Amino acid sequence: MPDQDQSSATPAVELRNIDKSFYGVFANADVDFSLAKGEVHALLGENGAGKSTLCSVMAGLYRPDSGEMLFDGKPMVFKSPKDAYAAGVGMVYQHFRLVSNLTVAENLALGNPEVGLRLSQGQLEAEAKELGERYDFPVDPSARIWQLSVGQQQRVEILKLLYRDAKILILDEPTAVLTPQEGEALFRAMRMLADEGRSLIFVSHKLQEVKAVSDRVTVLREGRVVGAANTDDAEPRDLARMMVGKDLVLPTRKPNESVGDEVLVIEDLVVEDDRGLDAVDGLSISVRAGEVVGIAGVSGNGQRELAQGIVGLMKVKSGSVRLNGTDVTKKSVLAKIKSGIAYVPQSRLGMGLAPGLTTEDNLALKQYREPPYSNGPLLSAAAFGRRGAELIEEFDVRGVRPGLPIRLLSGGNLQKALIAREVVQDHSVLIARSPTRGLDVGATADVRDHILAERDRGIAVLLISEDLDELLALSDRLVVIYEGRIVGEMPASEATAERLGLLMSGEREDQSA
Amino acid sequence: MSRRIIVEPRGLAPWWLKLLIPVASVIAALALGALFLMMTGNDWVEVYKKMADTAFGSGRGFAETLVSATPLILTGVAAAIAFKMLVWNIGGEGQLMFGAIAAAGVGIWLGGGTPPIIAITAVVLAGAIGGAFWASLSAVPKVYLGTNEIITTLMLNFIALNLMQYLVLGSFSPWRDPEATQFPQGRPIIDNARIPEFFHRLDWGLFIAIFVAVLAWFVISKTRSGFEYRIVGDSFNTARYAGIRVPKKILGTFLLSGASAGLAGSILVAGILGKMDPRSLDLGLGFTGIIVAALARLNPIAIIPVAILMGALNNAGPALQSIGVPTATVKILQGAILIFAVAGEFLIGNRFRRPRESVEEKPEPAKEASAA
Repeated sequence: MPDQDQSSATPAVELRNIDKSFYGVFANADVDFSLAKGEVHALLGENGAGKSTLCSVMAGLYRPDSGEMLFDGKPMVFKSPKDAYAAGVGMVYQHFRLVSNLTVAENLALGNPEVGLRLSQGQLEAEAKELGERYDFPVDPSARIWQLSVGQQQRVEILKLLYRDAKILILDEPTAVLTPQEGEALFRAMRMLADEGRSLIFVSHKLQEVKAVSDRVTVLREGRVVGAANTDDAEPRDLARMMVGKDLVLPTRKPNESVGDEVLVIEDLVVEDDRGLDAVDGLSISVRAGEVVGIAGVSGNGQRELAQGIVGLMKVKSGSVRLNGTDVTKKSVLAKIKSGIAYVPQSRLGMGLAPGLTTEDNLALKQYREPPYSNGPLLSAAAFGRRGAELIEEFDVRGVRPGLPIRLLSGGNLQKALIAREVVQDHSVLIARSPTRGLDVGATADVRDHILAERDRGIAVLLISEDLDELLALSDRLVVIYEGRIVGEMPASEATAERLGLLMSGEREDQSA
Repeated sequence: MSRRIIVEPRGLAPWWLKLLIPVASVIAALALGALFLMMTGNDWVEVYKKMADTAFGSGRGFAETLVSATPLILTGVAAAIAFKMLVWNIGGEGQLMFGAIAAAGVGIWLGGGTPPIIAITAVVLAGAIGGAFWASLSAVPKVYLGTNEIITTLMLNFIALNLMQYLVLGSFSPWRDPEATQFPQGRPIIDNARIPEFFHRLDWGLFIAIFVAVLAWFVISKTRSGFEYRIVGDSFNTARYAGIRVPKKILGTFLLSGASAGLAGSILVAGILGKMDPRSLDLGLGFTGIIVAALARLNPIAIIPVAILMGALNNAGPALQSIGVPTATVKILQGAILIFAVAGEFLIGNRFRRPRESVEEKPEPAKEASAA
């Protein structure tokens, strides 16, 4: 194209000093960003770095608190995603926006102002088919969405944008749901779209993917832009360091001197996720008494399946879980509780607590089967009250009133109640997932103290988290998982931002050396 | 400038509000009913007086009210225990009918010399088992195959109704009275299987129903199994996490719900009816039980007074014809009570307040009702 050079001088998108906060917490602060025409621009960053928020701002879903947005050099204010569509901006969200009972062609037509009142099914399908073939993205236009695989559904999302001739396509972690083969196909299509002069924003945590597909890369951390570079010039280790950022606060406390025998031993564990893919893919690890082993990794790399596989909530496909030498792999959730596995799940009100029951009831959730709570088939209301009051006092759970459903407590108090219940039962292993997530400073400190107290009394603690501060504050040993496998292991005292960042982004250590 | 009201979830609703809402619902429904009666040219005072007099004005009238209330307590419990666990069993109707089929079957088959205590027990239990069996036709596919119980229980209502009618009206089955020469009738069960009356037509079945309601309350609030039931009803995920086998719990609850509805059928057969009479069993008692459960906020104890109220309305209906008002008036009242009660439920869960003056204006008042 002859005028390519001239027109590409004006960026497709330019953001200046974008701020966006939620309830007083900054998701984006002072973000400058520019997207050139015809480029694939990667946004790189950890969980919670503000990538999705920034994308949603560009797609009109959120309005920035302040700052300027220029599209093709013209300042724009989007009141809704509809305005963004009109300006040629489209986004594929992590959670698809498709109507599962409608066909592919119908989904393409949905909400498109150019489609009139009368639908011509045949014409729609022909268009959808033609569009798919042009980008080597074949989908059956008459198939209903629920019949398609996740990868195919994603193609429909992209076709939806192309059907409206979007010039700027934002793909929020598109590869997270794809198989490697589907990922390859996506990258080919992305290149093709860029070659046509469209601009693409590609969100990822994976350095390899960023290297493979993008022209430029911008790194976000804690809502701010911390670096931008041409992808070819960027060293993976530099990107990793930028992503993880600040100098890590390495643990100052002494590791536990009296580390005991192996308590929890996991060998070649394979656990399938809801889609039937091996989310935990041959993972082996052991935790000793009096040791905190931290599992680091970007979310969605098998953390949920690992935890739920160990405690029996998800089926273990192969491999074994041994507890104090006894094989408990196939045991029921109840049998595992009784054999001594305590579990602090990630979702407090979604799993760890019964939101509509009282605090006292929730404190008994794992032990109500035994005295003093139960007396044969009958419950002892007195024991619920007495034991509840003791734990509420000891663990400083505040805001409890008689008859009050526990869901009305604050996050910190919920977590204190949950941990109280888990640590007072007989157990030798504690599995905790992101236990301080969303808590304020005081509650975070309390929860950390409880976990370290567990370690000091000889419990084997497996801490699964996406928060490096939390992992470094608590772990004796760090293990990094990527796509369900262990890719690196180190004592917490030897962790560096660069090393963790590379491992979490899927770079092998030997490559980065 | 706009005056806005903010609607927000309420924490803990005060106890008096939980009592006030159902009472207010009934009063509001009566007011609406009065409006309707005035519009149709009736003297609403006279109509309500007639209804109150029929339902509560005499010992005999009150006995009839309690007779009407007895099956409603049981179908109310059936709906309440299922709904509380998010099992939408709307098949109380069919479970009641199949319970009646089973009860009448046993009551006919038993020898006339069977001692009353054994005969009554056998007939009553047969109804509970029959109801549980009918519920299992929906429960087992739901738990093991994930079918939608709303659809299956609803469809099975019609199957049970037609089966019951076929057994008496459409065939010469053992359930049909061979001696009825004019119009086909159910064959009477043996006398020893009849539940004795103690006050006009009121029989001891009332106490069985009250016992079941109290038992349901006791099990739910005082036993280990009931605690597990409450956990499952609150959150399936949490229950699984606590080591409870959720499918088994759902299956058990569904069967007990069916048993309670089936018991209503057997108490009718062994009590006032004495036989399986298809017309007397096809009064929508299962559906009215759903209204009872909703108005009682799924509390088994509260079901007892609510069922008596609904029983009173059912009892008073036919008497209205003598003053030229259609029996269906009570159906309007029952429907209105349900609508007001469900609307009132929103007030228990939420509250309204004015925004505080000092709070700065948000640019997008999306979730606020604007009253400018």
